[in-house]
Amino acid sequence: MRRVWGIALGVLLLAGVVVAVVVGRETGEGGGGTTTVSGVIGSEKAEFFADPDVVAALADEGLTVRAQSVGSWAMEGVDLADYDFAFPSSQGPADALRRDNGDVGAPLRPFYSPLVVLAHRQAVEVLAANGLATLEADHRGRLSMADYLAAVEEGRTWQELEGAEARDGLSGVLYVSSTDPLTSNSGALYLAAASFVANDGQVVADDAAIERTAPLLHTLVRVQGTQQSSSDGPFRDFVSGVGNPLVLAYESQVAALLIGGAEAGDAGPGDAGPGDADAGVAGDMVVLYPDTTATSDHTLVPLTEGGQRLGEVLTESPELRRLAVRHGFRPQGATTEFTEATAEHSAYLREGLDGVRQAPVPTADVLRAMAARARS
Amino acid sequence: MRARARLAASLAALALTVAACTGDSGGDDGGGGGNGDGVEAAETVRILAGSELADMEPLLERAAEETGVRAEITSVGTLDATRLVLSGEADGAYDAVWLATNDYLRLHPEAEERVLTETSIMTSPVALGLRPEALARLGWQLDEITWAQVHEAVTAGGLTFGMTDPTRSNSGYSALISVTSALSGAQSALTSEDVTGSADRLVELFAGQRLTSGSSGWLAEAFQERDDVDALINYESVLLGLDRDGAADLAVVRPLDGVVTARYPLTTLTSASPEAAEALRLLGGYLRSPEAQRALTEETLRRPVATGVAAAEAIPGGQRRELPYPGSLDVADALLDAYDSELRRPSRTLYVLDTSGSMDGERLAALQDALRRLTGADAPAGQRFRDRERVTLMPFNDNVVSAETWTVEAGSREDALAGIRSGIDSLTALGGTALYASLIEAYELLADEGARDAFTSIVLMTDGQNIDDVTATTFQDFYVALDEEWRQVPVFTILFGDSDPAELQRIADQTGGALFDAVSGPLDDAFQEIRGYQ
Repeated sequence: MRRVWGIALGVLLLAGVVVAVVVGRETGEGGGGTTTVSGVIGSEKAEFFADPDVVAALADEGLTVRAQSVGSWAMEGVDLADYDFAFPSSQGPADALRRDNGDVGAPLRPFYSPLVVLAHRQAVEVLAANGLATLEADHRGRLSMADYLAAVEEGRTWQELEGAEARDGLSGVLYVSSTDPLTSNSGALYLAAASFVANDGQVVADDAAIERTAPLLHTLVRVQGTQQSSSDGPFRDFVSGVGNPLVLAYESQVAALLIGGAEAGDAGPGDAGPGDADAGVAGDMVVLYPDTTATSDHTLVPLTEGGQRLGEVLTESPELRRLAVRHGFRPQGATTEFTEATAEHSAYLREGLDGVRQAPVPTADVLRAMAARARS
Repeated sequence: MRARARLAASLAALALTVAACTGDSGGDDGGGGGNGDGVEAAETVRILAGSELADMEPLLERAAEETGVRAEITSVGTLDATRLVLSGEADGAYDAVWLATNDYLRLHPEAEERVLTETSIMTSPVALGLRPEALARLGWQLDEITWAQVHEAVTAGGLTFGMTDPTRSNSGYSALISVTSALSGAQSALTSEDVTGSADRLVELFAGQRLTSGSSGWLAEAFQERDDVDALINYESVLLGLDRDGAADLAVVRPLDGVVTARYPLTTLTSASPEAAEALRLLGGYLRSPEAQRALTEETLRRPVATGVAAAEAIPGGQRRELPYPGSLDVADALLDAYDSELRRPSRTLYVLDTSGSMDGERLAALQDALRRLTGADAPAGQRFRDRERVTLMPFNDNVVSAETWTVEAGSREDALAGIRSGIDSLTALGGTALYASLIEAYELLADEGARDAFTSIVLMTDGQNIDDVTATTFQDFYVALDEEWRQVPVFTILFGDSDPAELQRIADQTGGALFDAVSGPLDDAFQEIRGYQ
């Protein structure tokens, strides 16, 4: 398993460093009073750092960022000696990195995004009628994780649920499709949330708990057959109207879609129905918030003062917080920015996450062991 | 430990790449596709793409105008592409692969180190296209059809269909997953037990298969000529396209018990240069834009993956269960092996081989090598003579030299394969080229054997032109006088050496076969590719 992680890492480094070098060269020529900071980031943030508005906002703060995409769960294997920061998409790897590299400053969590489950309306209605979910707004609901996991463990099929119609794609065993937990952060976080529930609300931390939760996690993965390697794949299947009825996604993917759709008017005239700005963008999509979920806690570990400065700017600059929201992330602290930007999409998105239990994420080593067992 | 070593190797390679980047940065910004925050995009990207993506050409031309990135497409089957990527042969020759799915590729652990990124572009489920007469005869409701019903109808003798060979083409393999899931009652990803448990029913179903092919394009053409075949299993986009273009009147349904969907990820290989990777990023971005997504669904009848873009009107609505792709290579390959050796109708294959004097030397050796490769008992499904196949070698020069026949049986597979090998070894180059007289004898041999429940076909390989009293006209008269049963036996011709493309194309067209080019490509590949049609 380590072999795969190492290779993926090597590949990502290869792509990342080349970009960084070229960027660095150009800024060097450009001169100016900016400080260049370099670091490794989870790939979910690559689009954020590549956004020209983000680049400009960072420049206004006197920073040029060289960001290399590395799998969050592979950062531990990177020699961070020449870097200013590491910015994994989960707290687990961040803790391990802090342990290995010593404290320069406290880790900063500028923004975060919970895992959600996307479903079409008919599927949610069936889940609701059978006590597995509740609908809380036109396009938003809550998934009961304990009941859902019990159903998967029993091999419950859609056709056993009242109201399920094959013409809505509701047949075969009930499951949420997720990504490969060995290569993808969202797939790993899914196992984190499931194992937390299965382990009676305790984070899995030892071999006994790994052993205890292994059969469930194995089932969650086995029923899916081949999994995709990045969360964009299942998300696009959903948008295209194909694939499994239940799809794991980051809330940020949906939020970015809704915000971007409204801003860019990408639905085009006539596609959206009157009175529903999102109809053309999101159709009959329902966003289910699992009552216990894992959150992608984008945690910046500063390794130098420059890295510390980047973390502070991302956390404090109103402009950068606004841009993070545009990419669907929830900025840390006050919720007003996210709430305001998503006000017209409240039929889909929760304002706050009160009442959604956040499962702590196991350490990187434990999660890796769990993923390997689940895939075996 | 190995991970560290690999990482070090990657970083060493990286140092070289960086040096190269800096090296050619002497001039100022060249403009081009770069937007100043990264690597300059390459102007051309080389993409290994599924043959059905030929219909994307107009859109790719627009993409070149919009992005400055020109896609250079090489058509290939899914299986061949997978092999090229995994073996590393694709490295350096191609920057990306663009196939119906990466699922089969990803079942191989080595794939991880070959694939950098993938971007879904569009989707199309593998569906069932039914002629209206068949639909009326069966009395089916369009939105209630299941694979289980298809099985029942075939068993009752009321339905025939065509599909591609699962060992060579993704649409055939997707169909195989669908019917195996449906007939085994599997509720989640297939297991080996699901495959063995449903074997009897699958044999009954495949008894109704009348057309097989290595590519969906040929299948669609053959289907137009064969109105005795009621249905076609293929990508929804291909079926809707046949209907739209008036090539075949078809009702297109996604069976209620589930489908397997192609999602066409544009896949950048790790071996691609940073410039090519950047160009592919731009190309993928363009193809995902609302404008391109609207064009692709209207033009190619595939489903868009961009939000806010509605699918073309011809594309039916409603959701269908997505049947999972097998989760392990063992199960995936067991399914292919079972299809090839047990489930499908057997093959009756006759090779008419030119062994005239001009074949002497390298040409004969190439022919013998190509044939020998089909006799490897351990070769994967689809790349050797299959169990239950009846194989005849009919070498000819001024006359037919000999006609020896073997039947490959699972229990005594090696005996038959050894027999075929000795037949191959004894081929000798001598004399002239009585092409049409030999072809006539091949049809006569099959007719003498009588009807059999098999995919019957003839392969004609020649390196020269007909030199004989029996001419194309003689053959034409002979062929049209044949009974329907034998007129349906296609001749797959192989262009080799100094043979005449027009002559061989005519024979292929007349008999419903196809021409394979072994002048610009290896002879070996032609023989391999033809396996998909046998």
